[in-house]
This record gives sequence, C-alpha cells and structure tokens, in this order.
Amino acid sequence: MSIATPPIDAALPARVAPPRSRPWYLDVWIQMVRRKPLGTVGAVIVVVMLAAAVFADQISPYGFAETSLRERFIAVNGAHWLGTDQLGRDLLTRLIHGARVSLYVGFGAVGLGSVLASAIGILSAYFGGRVDMLVQRGVDAWMAFPPLLLLMSIMSLVGPSAFNITIVLGAAFGIQNSRVVRGVALGIKEHTYIESARAMGSGHLAIATRHILPNTLPTIIVVATTGLSTVILTEASLSFLGLGVPPPFPTWGGMLSLAGLDHMYTAPGLAVWPAVALSLAVFGFNMLGDALRDLLDPRLKGG
Amino acid sequence: MKQYVLRRLALAVPTLFLVSVIVFALMRLMPGDVATRMVEGHGYARTLDALRHDLGLDRPVHVQYVEWIGNIVLHGDFGRSYWTRQPILEEFVRRFPVTLELALLTILVSVVIGVIVGVLSAVRQDSVSDYVGRVLAILALSIPYFGLAVVVVVVPSIYFKWTPVWTYAAFTVDPLQNLKIMLIPALVFGVTRAGPIMRIMRSALLDVLRQEYIRTAWSKGLSERTIILRHALKNALIPVISLVGLQMPLYIGGSVIIESIFRLPGVGLFFFEALGKLDYPVVQSVNLIIAAMVVGLNLAIDLSYAFLDPRIRYR
Repeated sequence: MSIATPPIDAALPARVAPPRSRPWYLDVWIQMVRRKPLGTVGAVIVVVMLAAAVFADQISPYGFAETSLRERFIAVNGAHWLGTDQLGRDLLTRLIHGARVSLYVGFGAVGLGSVLASAIGILSAYFGGRVDMLVQRGVDAWMAFPPLLLLMSIMSLVGPSAFNITIVLGAAFGIQNSRVVRGVALGIKEHTYIESARAMGSGHLAIATRHILPNTLPTIIVVATTGLSTVILTEASLSFLGLGVPPPFPTWGGMLSLAGLDHMYTAPGLAVWPAVALSLAVFGFNMLGDALRDLLDPRLKGG
Repeated sequence: MKQYVLRRLALAVPTLFLVSVIVFALMRLMPGDVATRMVEGHGYARTLDALRHDLGLDRPVHVQYVEWIGNIVLHGDFGRSYWTRQPILEEFVRRFPVTLELALLTILVSVVIGVIVGVLSAVRQDSVSDYVGRVLAILALSIPYFGLAVVVVVVPSIYFKWTPVWTYAAFTVDPLQNLKIMLIPALVFGVTRAGPIMRIMRSALLDVLRQEYIRTAWSKGLSERTIILRHALKNALIPVISLVGLQMPLYIGGSVIIESIFRLPGVGLFFFEALGKLDYPVVQSVNLIIAAMVVGLNLAIDLSYAFLDPRIRYR
C-alpha cells in the first residue's frame, strides 16, 4: 500500500464564486451548510445554547437559586429531570442558567478584547518604530506568563464577580491577539492606497479607522470566533477554582467544583452534567469557529 | 551561533524586567489587603500599622520593588512568605520536581497520542481513519481537563468500587507508588492536550510529503516505512516541537488545577494556596520564576531547531 502523492499542481477545489445576488453574510451560512457538516453541527449547538441563555427564565422549571432542603440529592425523577444538588436546587435549571453566564462572560470578554486587540495592533503597526518596539516588548512580557497563573493572580485580587472576570478576560484576550492584528495591519500599511490617502491629507486617525481597520476586520472576526471557546473554557477554569463568577449564580465550572467535586461519590451526576454541557459548548464554538475561518479567511486554514 | 545565543539572552533581560514590573504592579495596585486579613482573621500583630511596618508595606511602592528585585538579582533571594516566614525559593525548589514530573508525563502522553494519530491521519489522508482521528482530536480539545479529571475520579469509584490512591510519595522514595499516583493526572491532562499536537502533526507531515526530496525517495524505491519514519517525520516534527514549547505556559497553568484536584504537593498547589491568603511575595516570585523559565525554554526551543533542521542557520 502506498500513500497518495498528489500531483505537483495539486488540484485545489476551484473556489467558484457564486453569483453575488445574496449578501455575503448570508452566503457564508449557505456555504457552511453545504460544505461544512461539522461546522453546521457546531452552529446548531451554539444556537441552542443561545436560545437557552436568552429564554432561561421561561424554559427552566425552577429558579436557579431556589433551594429546598427537603429535596437534596434527588436522583433523576419526573419533577427534577437531572436531579437536584446539595441544596436541593434543580440541576437542569442551573445548567440552563449556566449557559447564560458562560455566554455573558464569553461574548462580553471577546467583544471588549477584539476592540482592544484592534486598537493596540493597529496603533503599534501604524506608528511603527519606537512605539511599535515599546508596545511589542510589553506584549512579549505579558505572553511570558502562563495565562492561567496571571489571570488567577488578578482575579484573586480584584475579587470574583461576573463583571470583573469579563473585564479581566477581555483585557487578556485583547493583549494576546493584538499580535495577530498587528501582523495583518503591517501588511496593509504598505499598500499604495494608504500612501495616497496620506497624500490627500488624511490624518492618522482617519487612515487608521477608515482604511486600515476595515481591512483587518475579517481577521478580527476569525480571531474572535475561534477565541470564544477558549474564553468560555478559561472562565469555567477560574470559576472552578472559585475565582470566577461567585455563587449563587450557576456557572458550569463552579458547579463542577462546588457541587461536583465535593459530592462526587453521593451524586456523580452533579459533576458529569456540567462537564458535558461545557464540553458541548466548547465543541460547538470550536467547530463553528473553524468552519467560519475556512470560509472567511482561507489563508489561516489549519490542519 | 554563539553571537546569536548572546543576542537572544540580551533581549530576554528587558522582557524579564517588564515581567517583574507587571507582576509587582498588579500585586500592589489592585484592591485586596493582606494586612487586614492577617490582623483581623488571625491576629498576626496588635494593630494594622504595626503589621504593615513589620512586613515593610508602609514604605513607598518603588522602594519595595527595588528591594524585591534587588535581592533577587544580587543575592538570589526571592523573599519570604508573609504567613509562614519561610523562604520562597526553598519551598519552590522542594515542590518543583512534582510539577516538572507532571508536566513531562503530560507532554509525553500528549505527544505520543498526538504524533501517532497525526501520522496515521496524514498517511491515510481523507480515509475513514483520517476523519475519525480528526474528529477525536477536536473532541479531545473540547473536553475541559478539570471536567475529565472529576469524571475519571467519580466513575470508577461508583461502578468498580475503586478509588485512586491519594497519598503522595516522591519518586526517589517509592517510584512505583509515585507513578501510580501521577499516571491518572498525566493521562487526563495529556489526552485533552493531544488535539492540537495531532492537528499540527498531520498538516506538517502532509506538507513535507509533498516536497521534492520525498518524491526522490519514492523513486529510489525506498519503502513507505523508511520514507515516513526516516525522511519525512524528522522535518515534520519541527512545528510539533515549537507547539509544545509555545504551550508550555498552558501545561504549567493547567497543573495548578490538576494539582488541586489530585492533591499533588507541587508548585501549583503552593501558588493556589498563596493566592487564597493574598501572600504577595509568594505570588510575585512564583510568577516571576515561571515566566523566566518560559522565556528560557522558548530560547532553548529556537536553538534546538538548528539540530533538527540543518538548513536553519543562525547569524
């Protein structure tokens, strides 16, 4: 048996542009369903999760902090589909509300981080020289830390709260990804249309926001979608350690440690279900991010 | 080569300086007061001011910084814990072997799984095993290691009435017992980190297999085994090595969680306990030592390329 050695000019599937009758953002989704089955699965998971987060109050059978000490550690039954935890709270309800916390922190941090990454990256690339040198050494130093250790240090000082963790994760995401934006912006800066804009008297701000920023947008979108799963996972890690979103708010990471780890022998479901929910969410965002990256920016295509 | 090493070392100095400034500034500028907790909760001193004076917290911030960094640079003294008054470096050195062993075993597990699955996936590109391997890699990537750790501890104890051993034994004291304890954490952590390695192994090998010298090797009539193992794999491993190096911070960060779940007395647990007590000197110094290790490791990895790929020359 031999391996298939493709011909030198390996025939790439011709990327025939469909007639541009529909807008590109619709086109991306149609392409996804046709060519990316796993990406479509990811999109479905993400949509279900979004729906759970938005309609959490309507669809969950109980309140997320509704305790009932008489009904602690109930196994699966008709009233509690996934059972109850150590305080008699309904597990299914808490899982649904956990989606809300995850997405709130995830989207908040990635949104903030993307703005920050664009600002730092474009500033550093546009001005170049000494500014670039200084900013990049700062980014270097930041990246020398194991991210989790640094985030844990900061969170233990500012104190756990949903707002704090969103800001902190957003800042970390922004600094880290400013590298990618800078790389793209450096390339764009060399184009002649930037030079002509300058010749026509555009100021620094106008060039940066009107000419460079729009051209880095596809990269920023890709970085943001692929980064969502990492941010959600990091939030769960920090909440698992008690440094993320504090009780009584249900977070999947917090449920794993507070209910799961402490009572794992009496009620294994308390550990297993949050882990499953978290894995599904991360899987969904990973798949969706990968597919979007391939469709939006073929240059960044991975293995 | 020698010049290159020297230049890289010189560049590491400003980076480490910035690292120390960042970590120190974070500790001092953020809210959270260790003195209040030590006095009110534990009666370490009669008044807040007395304790602050004892700990040197009443002096200006820049003086404190210079003292901290000065002692490290001049005397190799990383300070003492506020709570136990024990030297930090001593404790770090005592605990480091546990973390290092965990990290090495984890890397071993993830590289073995990642490389084998990656090679199989690349050699049989677009076959069923390729797709299975790729989906498994993504699944492994999606499972949070702390979730897997909890499940791995829970399931056997419920269904097989078997609980893992918790009492830690140093490798030098009881190697067998030690490996028994380390194996499960390393497997759990390693499996979840194998995904990226598999993906990069696959794409790197696919890339190499399309190069001219591999075509030459085929036309010489070498066997598939020889071509892949002796000719292609060596070059395809370069991105894998740099990925492992780049992910080193993740291995160390994750070890904090793994160590706290499996109660391993490593640096991670030390750091985590210090955080809970707002023990600034410990948090600062451990962060700095680990960041310095990461910087050193990245340098070592860059240099190792020269041995793996003779085409790379340093000037």
